[in-house]
Order: sequence, then structure tokens, then C-alpha cells
Amino acid sequence: MKNEEDDFYVGYLDNTSTKTKKTTRLFVVFSLLGLIAIASIFALTQNTFKNSTFELTTSTKITGVYHEMPYPMLKVKTAENTYKNILLLGFGKSSANPFLEKIRSKTPKLSGSILSIEGNLIYYNGKTLLQITNDEKISLVEKTNPNRLPKVEQVANNMEFKGEVIDPKCYFGVMKPGKGKIHRSCAALCIAGGIPPVLATNDENNISEYYLITDKKGNPIHKDILPYIGKPSLINGKVVRVEDWYQLQIDVNSIQDLNQPSKIY
Amino acid sequence: MGVNYQTVLWNRNKKIYDKWIILGMLIYLLCFIGITLITNPETSIETLIIRAFGTLAIALLHVILVIGPLVRLNSRFSPLLYNRRHLGVSMFLAALIHGGFSIFQFHSLGNVNPIYALFTSNMDYGSLTNFPFQVLGFFALIILFIMASTSHDFWLKNLSPKLWKRLHMMVYLAYTLVILHVFLGALQQQPSLWSISMLSLGFIIIAGLHIRTSLIESKTDKTKTEDIVDGWEYVCDIDEIPEDRAKIFIVNNERIAVFKYDNKLSAISNVCKHQGGPLGEGKVIDGCVTCPWHGYQYLPHNGQSPPPFTEKIATYNLKTENNKIYVHPEAMAEGTEVNPVII
Repeated sequence: MKNEEDDFYVGYLDNTSTKTKKTTRLFVVFSLLGLIAIASIFALTQNTFKNSTFELTTSTKITGVYHEMPYPMLKVKTAENTYKNILLLGFGKSSANPFLEKIRSKTPKLSGSILSIEGNLIYYNGKTLLQITNDEKISLVEKTNPNRLPKVEQVANNMEFKGEVIDPKCYFGVMKPGKGKIHRSCAALCIAGGIPPVLATNDENNISEYYLITDKKGNPIHKDILPYIGKPSLINGKVVRVEDWYQLQIDVNSIQDLNQPSKIY
Repeated sequence: MGVNYQTVLWNRNKKIYDKWIILGMLIYLLCFIGITLITNPETSIETLIIRAFGTLAIALLHVILVIGPLVRLNSRFSPLLYNRRHLGVSMFLAALIHGGFSIFQFHSLGNVNPIYALFTSNMDYGSLTNFPFQVLGFFALIILFIMASTSHDFWLKNLSPKLWKRLHMMVYLAYTLVILHVFLGALQQQPSLWSISMLSLGFIIIAGLHIRTSLIESKTDKTKTEDIVDGWEYVCDIDEIPEDRAKIFIVNNERIAVFKYDNKLSAISNVCKHQGGPLGEGKVIDGCVTCPWHGYQYLPHNGQSPPPFTEKIATYNLKTENNKIYVHPEAMAEGTEVNPVII
């Protein structure tokens, strides 16, 4: 223990010895360099963020054919005979349904009608979603016409996929990253709140495809899939295509947890 | 020292200390945010805040945890200990921003209470790889909150130094929870050899310094005199103690400090009433034994803090024979006057 007389330090006195000052300065310099090194290592070892977008502060008005097959969507014409189906979502970790109640009460057969909705766009990798934050910003443009509904075509009766169940709202733009273990709790809350579960897959060429998950009868699925969210899994089911979106109709009990770290995106 | 409580009893050294804390935190945040924006510009502001403040809190926690043993090993590090509580509160604030933003981002705006959601949205408590790491961070934040909110002499006095010290020793539990939180969360999703090595090195440094300190102190604690005459224990020769300084000994399983000053010798308890600082590593300044940790003072002949302060510590009887100092191991009641031995 070094206790030279001139080294004794009392915080409320201004008589710090030169040696103590020097030691303190060395520690401070070393600590600052350490902080810079730690900040650099943590910053440089982060995975690359994807270029997904959430237009939180910009509102966009979109007009299209509303349908629920089974999740609320808006079919929007992007070019001649080309349509894009925009997945509708609510505010926070909620589905679009609470925001659609008002217009549903006025228009009993809402599917097939043309709606104009103002909200915040979320988009990534060819998929677009719209967050609705105010039910006053949904208006009926034309009454229902079943001929406007998208066509459903069967792709495969039973296909197996390796992928991760994600909540599309966060994955396609609201959060970065919106997948994996860190995001699992958030995704579980989103899906429990009515946001449709989506299976995100990656092939060997790193090309992703996305599948809206329903039960075997094509009905919405939420609570039953919660234990499998955010984990690489093996999932099989019937694949149908609703224009630019695939749907995967599954038996939740057949999902196999692969016990692997998340690798998508 | 103070006779009444103020939010902060400011002095020049505390102000300098705080300026360096702020500068250090700003440098860290600018580095982390700057590098991320340059090398990874698609980040989101929420993620940037969560990661910048989370990693800052971890870095500061390491700095805080090395200060204690460094001061025990070399008193020239004492200025770092003097205002460490402000460093602790700053670290808590960084952790709070990290935790607050994380709870808002990941657990709020759902159909259940955010805190309930934190505990229930991932129920894989039985699995190590899938364990809900957020819960570990939450408990660490609660501990850091308790420590930060009681990081004032008002609480030290009212909770009693013993309980306060025990409460603040929970920083080691918080550190363990934080490390598990990081390894089972961020590092599991985003394994990085550099980050893992850095945190492992941090652990080795902290553990190494604490082990070294504890080995040195336990060696001192085990040193017992075999020279006992009529109940008086020989401790050392007079000239082994420097002027205005002390030597620490163990008598009756208690650490005592024998001071030499003004051609006199006095023995008092080694434990400061403030935070348990080692008075035997202190110095006699203006006739008072001054604690090396925060400058609390006691009169060597009666163990009482000079008026208007009221702290009291135990005193011991001494005698000398042939340049040898003997102490009677029975502690006198705190604040008991004992005539110094004139040498």
C-alpha cells in the first residue's frame, strides 16, 4: 500500500499531490481511450441494417379494393392489369380491425368495396403495408362489387419451408431489426394484438419470400402461433396465392422448432 | 462532511469530476452514433438510442467496478473514488434510457401492460438459448435504480451504513445480470468475437483486481501477534509508524488503526462511520484522523468527529515498552476518551 505523505488526497481540499494528479490523469486518459475503443467495437460489429422504410411522419392516401382473405388488405392498381395488395395494420401492436369497425358498421359488406385510407406506409423488398391511426381517415369511395376481389389460386397442396415467423409490421420497416430473439417479445405482442403472422424464408441465393400464415381452413391465426415466433422453424402446409401475396395454410402443431439462431435478413 | 443535507455538497473537485463524466459520456455517444451512421446508415433512431445508451451503461459499469479495488491497491487512485456516486448515477441514467426505450419499443402499445408483457411475451424460462433475457436487464435496472436513488448521505445515515453498504454491494448482482442480459440477448442474436472478447476481458480485469485486493487484505487480517503480555498485544515498534499516519492491525477479530502524531500514539477502530472507509490508511490533518475515502474526520484520542459533527467510533488503550507498542484488545465504547501515549 503506497501511502507517501504527500500523496494523501482529501476531496474537499485543493492540495492534491503531483503524483496523485498524474495517476488520476492517466486513469482518465486510459478510460477515455477505452470508451472510444468500446464504442468503436460495439458500433462496428453490428449487423447491417436493411433498407426498410416506415414513413412515421408522412401520411399517404391510398385508394383501392378492400378485402379480407382473411386479413384486411387494400388492392391497389399500380399499372394496367397489375395490382398490389397492401396489408392494413392498426396503430402500435394492433390489427387494422378496431379502426375498420366504424366503416364496417356503415357498410355491412365491406369486402369488394373501394376505400380510401390515409395512413403511414411501411415497405421493404416488394411488400407494402399501411398503418391506420385514425378511423376518420377511412372513407367509402364505391360500394361493394365481388368481381373486384383478387383471385385465389392454389400453388401447392403440401410444401415444407424453413424460415422464421415474424410480425410483418416491424419486419417490413417499423423496427430494425424486426426479427430474431431480441425482437421476439415485440413480435409476439404484435401478433397477439391481431397483426397477421408471416413466414419469412431465405433460399441459398439469399432471396426472401414471405407467406401470410392462416389456419388450415384459411382463417386468421394469432394466439396459437405465439410460441413459434422469432425462431427458425420447419413449417409445412398448403400454399395459395392471392395475387402478389402467398398464403400458407398450416396446422400449428406441426411446426418444428429448429433450435437455431435466427438467420433471415 | 456536512451537518445538513443538500442535493450535492459541491466543491471544485466534484465539479471537475462531473465535467469529465459528461465529457466521457459525450465522447462515447458521439463515437458510437457517428460510426453507426457512417458505416450502417439504414439504422433507425430508436435502435441507435437503445444500443448507444445500453453499451454506454455497460462501459461505465466496468469503469465503476475497477475504481474500488484500484484505490485499495494504490491510494493515488483516491480522487476517482471521491465522487464515484455521480458516476454511478450517470451510469444508471444511461441504463434507464436504454431500458425505457426498449420497454417502449418492444413491450408497449400492445394489448397488455408493458411490464406484464416483458415477463410474459416470451415464456421460455426453461431454455437457456431462448431465455427471456429482457427480464435479466429489468432486474438489473431495478437494482441500479435502488442504488442511484439511495446514493446520497441522507439515505446512508437513515438506512444505517451497514444496510446501505449491503444494498450497494448489489452492484455485483446487477453486473452479473447485465452480463447475462447481453450474452443471452444481443450477443446471441448477433455474435461477435470482438464484443465477446471485450466483455470477457472486462470480466477478467474486474475479477482479477477484486481477487488481488481480497488476497492482500485477507493476508493482513490473518496476521496475529503471538506476543501477548497480561492481555496486552504487541502490534509493532514505534518507529514503524510514519508521522501523522497509522498502521492497521487485527485485534479481537476487529481492524484497528494505531496513529502516531505530535509525539503521541492513539488507537481507534479502522472503520469509518460514513461508508466503512479504512481510517488506518488516512492521515492526521489539523489534529484529526481524516478518512481517505471521503474525508470524514475523527479526533484520535476519543474517536469523535469534531463538533458540530456527531460520528463516533471505538477507541483502544495503548501502552509502550522499550519502543514497542502494545494494544489492549478490548474496544472502548464509541467516543470514549483515552489518553494518548506520549512518546
